[in-house]
Amino acid sequence: MTETCAIALTINGREHRLSVAPSLTLADLLRDQLGLTGTKVSCDQSVCGACTVLIDGRPVAACTEFAFQADGRSITTIEGLAKTPAELHPIQAAFIEASAFQCGFCTSGMILLLKSLLDRNPDPDEATLREWVSCNICRCTGYEVILDAARLAAKAQRTAAAS
Amino acid sequence: MSIPNRLRVVGEKVAAVDGHAKVTGAATFTFDRSLPGMLHIKLLRSPHHHARIRAIDTSAAERMPGVRAVATARDLAGLTPIYGVRIKDQPVLAIEKVRYRGDVVAAVAATDEAAAFAALGRIAVDYEVLPAVMTIDDAMAPGAPLLFDKPSINALRPHGTGGEGIAEPGPNLLYQFNHDVGDIDAAWAQCAHVFEDTFEFSRMTPFQMEPFVALARPEGDAIELWTCSQDPFLIRQDVANIFGLSDHQVRVHASFVGGGYGGKSFCKLEPLVVLMARMTGRPVRLCLTFDENILLLSQHAARLTLKTGVAADGRFVCRDSRLYLDGGAYSDASALVTDKTGYRLPGPYRWTAVRTRAFSVRTTTVPAGSFRGFGGTQANYACESQIDMIARRMGQDPLEVRLKNLLKVGDPYLQADAPMDSDFAAGLRSAATRVGYERSRPPRRGVGLAIGFKDGGGEARAARAAVKITVTGRVVVQGGTAEIGQGASTALCQVAAEMLNVPFEWVKYGEIDTDVTPYDQGTHASSGMTVTGTAVARACEDVRGQILAFAAEKLSCDPGELHLENWTVRHGNTVHKLQPLAIEYFGGYGCEFVGRGFFKVNEDLSTPLNAKRLFWMPAWTGIEVEVDEETGQYEVLNFVCGTDAGRIINAAAARGQVEGGALQGLGQAMFERLIYGPDGLITTSPLTYRLPLAADLPKHFEGFLEEHGMGPGPFGSKGIGESSILGVAAALANAIEDAIGVRITDLPITPEKILTALDAKRRAA
Repeated sequence: MTETCAIALTINGREHRLSVAPSLTLADLLRDQLGLTGTKVSCDQSVCGACTVLIDGRPVAACTEFAFQADGRSITTIEGLAKTPAELHPIQAAFIEASAFQCGFCTSGMILLLKSLLDRNPDPDEATLREWVSCNICRCTGYEVILDAARLAAKAQRTAAAS
Repeated sequence: MSIPNRLRVVGEKVAAVDGHAKVTGAATFTFDRSLPGMLHIKLLRSPHHHARIRAIDTSAAERMPGVRAVATARDLAGLTPIYGVRIKDQPVLAIEKVRYRGDVVAAVAATDEAAAFAALGRIAVDYEVLPAVMTIDDAMAPGAPLLFDKPSINALRPHGTGGEGIAEPGPNLLYQFNHDVGDIDAAWAQCAHVFEDTFEFSRMTPFQMEPFVALARPEGDAIELWTCSQDPFLIRQDVANIFGLSDHQVRVHASFVGGGYGGKSFCKLEPLVVLMARMTGRPVRLCLTFDENILLLSQHAARLTLKTGVAADGRFVCRDSRLYLDGGAYSDASALVTDKTGYRLPGPYRWTAVRTRAFSVRTTTVPAGSFRGFGGTQANYACESQIDMIARRMGQDPLEVRLKNLLKVGDPYLQADAPMDSDFAAGLRSAATRVGYERSRPPRRGVGLAIGFKDGGGEARAARAAVKITVTGRVVVQGGTAEIGQGASTALCQVAAEMLNVPFEWVKYGEIDTDVTPYDQGTHASSGMTVTGTAVARACEDVRGQILAFAAEKLSCDPGELHLENWTVRHGNTVHKLQPLAIEYFGGYGCEFVGRGFFKVNEDLSTPLNAKRLFWMPAWTGIEVEVDEETGQYEVLNFVCGTDAGRIINAAAARGQVEGGALQGLGQAMFERLIYGPDGLITTSPLTYRLPLAADLPKHFEGFLEEHGMGPGPFGSKGIGESSILGVAAALANAIEDAIGVRITDLPITPEKILTALDAKRRAA
C-alpha cells in the first residue's frame, strides 16, 4: 500500500485532518475527496489558472500543488467566498453585474485571482489589473468584461470599507 | 407571431440564469460528474504520423492491477464503428492503420486513472511506418501515399441548382464543392482588370477550457451517457447507429458546456466511452488531458487563390476561386466546412459570375472540423484582403470600393439565395467612423477595414421546444440548445418571460436530457436564437392559447376577451388570479400546462446549398496599427468590431459574444496557431500554444451592436456568435499595408514576415 501523509489544513474556514497520498494534488483533494468541484482543472500544467485557489491569501494553481504542501495552511476555494447563498462576495456580485462570464469554466479561478489582488491592493491601476488578469486564461469573453467586473468590485469594496 | 407592443424583458438588463451558479462554483459541468463505482479510461495514441498496425498485444496490460478492460479494433467486431459528418471515415479505434500522431489505437479502463495510465505502457503495438502526408502539397503530390485505400461511407445530401458536392474526387481528396453562378467565361470580357492572389490561412485549436469529457453507464443493452457535447441528439443517433441500438436505448445528458468554439460539436470519443462501458459492464469516465485535447480537433488551415475581374470604374464583375482546406486525418465536418467556405467566398457583393472550386484535403495531421466561423473565417480573410489589394492597385479607396459593390437590403445573395437582411453599408460606415478611418495619421500608422460575412442557421435545420407552466405560473423552457457560454439559456428565458407576460425570475431553462427534452439538431451555426428560439416562441404561443382557453371556459367568456399578465387573466375590469382557478380545475392538485413549438428551415433545391440561408450574419471590423519598421513589431492601437443582432435580446451576452470572438480573431491574426514543423506538431501543450491574454488587449477595443430589425428569430433577432471573428485577420493585414505599404498574405502576421516583406520592398525599389 502506498504511504500516506497526515496533514492538517483549513479549507474555507473549517479545519480538516486528512491522510493523503504523497502524489495527490491539491485540486484532486478538493474535487475528488472533498467534493469541492467549483475548483476547475483545465490545462493541468499551471498555465491557464482555472484551478486557482488561495493559500494563505496567495493565488496558487491547485493542479500542480501537492496536497501535502498545503499542510498547516489556510485554503480558500470558490465555495468559501459567499457568506450565504444570498450574500455573495462583492467580486462574485460584480461578475454577475458585469456579465463577466460565458461558459464559466475559468470563472472560479478568475474570481479568486482578483480577490487576492484586491485584498492586497484595493485600488489597482490599469497596468496592474491587466497584468494580474493575464495570469489566467479566459477563452470566451475577450477579458474586457472581466476587467469591468474587477473595477466594479474594487469600487464596491472601497465604498464599503469607507462607510 | 404576435409581438407585444411594449417589451418588458427582451432587450432589458437581467441577471443571467446561470450567473449565480457560475460565480459560486455550483455550476455542474460534465467534467464535474462522477458515477458510483466508475472506471477511468486512458488512451494509447499513435506515435507515428502514418503507419500500418501489424499487431497489438494487450495481454500484459490486461494483467496489470486495477485494469478491467483493454479495447482495440478487435472489439469493434459486429459494430458499425465508423462515424463522420456527411462522409464517414473515422473508426472508433484505429482499424489496421493510424493516420496521425495521436490517433487512438487502444483504450484501457481501470479502477483509477493512474492504473489505466500505467497499463498503456504495457500495450505492445507493432507498426509498419508509412510516409507521412503533412501538408496540402504533400497530399496532392503525384504518387503521394494514400491515407485511405478504400472509398469511405458517403452520406452526402443533395445540393441544389448551382451547387455540387463530390465525395472523394481524387487521391487524398475528401470532398469537393463546386459553385457556379452566371457565365464566367463571358464575364472576363467585361473586366478592365483581373487580379489573382493567393492567401494562406493558419489553423488554431479550439482551446476550450473544459477538455473533452464523457461518462457512460450501461444497463443491459441500454446506455446512459453524459457528455460535454453541444449536440446531445446527434450523439444519441451516432451511438445508436454504431452499436445497433434503438434510439430509446440511448439516453444522453448535457450539462453546462465549458466552452466549445466548434470543438464540442458532432461525435467525438463518445462511442469509445460507450464501448468501454459495455465491455466492463461498469460506469466509465474518459477525460482528456489538455495535450490530448489539442489532438482531438482543429480549425482548417487553408490555401485560397482568388482570380477577380473588375470593371474600369471599380465595379466587381466575376471571381474564379480555387481553395484547399487541410481536413486532417478524418472527415469530421470537413465536407460541410468546405461547402460553407466556398459558398461564402464571394462575400456580400454584387457579381455577374462566380466559379468556385473548393476541396478538403486529407493529411496525416489532427482532424479538422467545426470551428467558430465554420469556413467563413477562411473565406472572409481571403476575400476582404484581396478587395483592399484591388482597391489600392486601382488607386481607389478601399471603403469606397466596398460601398460601391455591396449588396443592399433585400438583394438576393448571388441571384439565388435569401435577400440581405442587414444593412452592410451602414454597419461598415459605423465601423469606419468608430475606428477613425478618415483621420489623418503620422507615418507608419495605418487603418484597415474588413467585412465579415457568413450565413447563420445551418442546413435546413429543425428544432422542437416545449414550455411547461405550473399552476403557480412558474415556467420551465425545454430546448435542445446547450448552454455553452453564449447565453442561450438566459435569452430563451427572456423570450418566454416576454411572451407569457411573467417576471423573468419565474422562468428557468431545463437541463437537456434526450429522454425528456424535445428534439433539436444541436447547438450549431449561431442558430440558438433563430431556430430553437422560434420553436420556444411558438411553444409559448401554444401554451398561452391553452391557458386562455381554460380560463375562458372557467369564466364563461371568449378567450379573445382575456389578457394574460403575471399569472392572472384580466377580463374587462376584473382581474382573476390563475393559480386558484387552475388548482380548482385540476381537482385540488398541481398540474402543468405544456406548450409545444416546432421550427424547420424548408429545403429548396433552387438554391446551391439546398435550403435558403435562414439569415445573414455580418461583422464590421476596423483596426488601426502602428508599425515599427526597424523590428517589424506592431501595436494595435484601436480595434472595433460590430455586428447586427437584428433585435438585441440580451445586450450583455451579445457584447460578450462580439468581444470574445473578436479577440479570438485578433489572436489568430497576430500569433495564435498550431505550428507544424518537419517532424510534426510543435505546439503540443498549453505551455507552447500561445493564445490571447488580457495583456494582449489593444489600447482601445470596442465591440458594437446594431439592430437592423430584420432577423428571423423572435422579435426580429438574429444569431451573432460566430460573427466577430470573421473579418479580423483581413482588417489587420489591410491596416498594415495602409501603414507601411507591404502586404502579408499568410497568417499569422508576425514581425518576421513584416521585416521580410519590407526587405523585399526595399530591394525592389
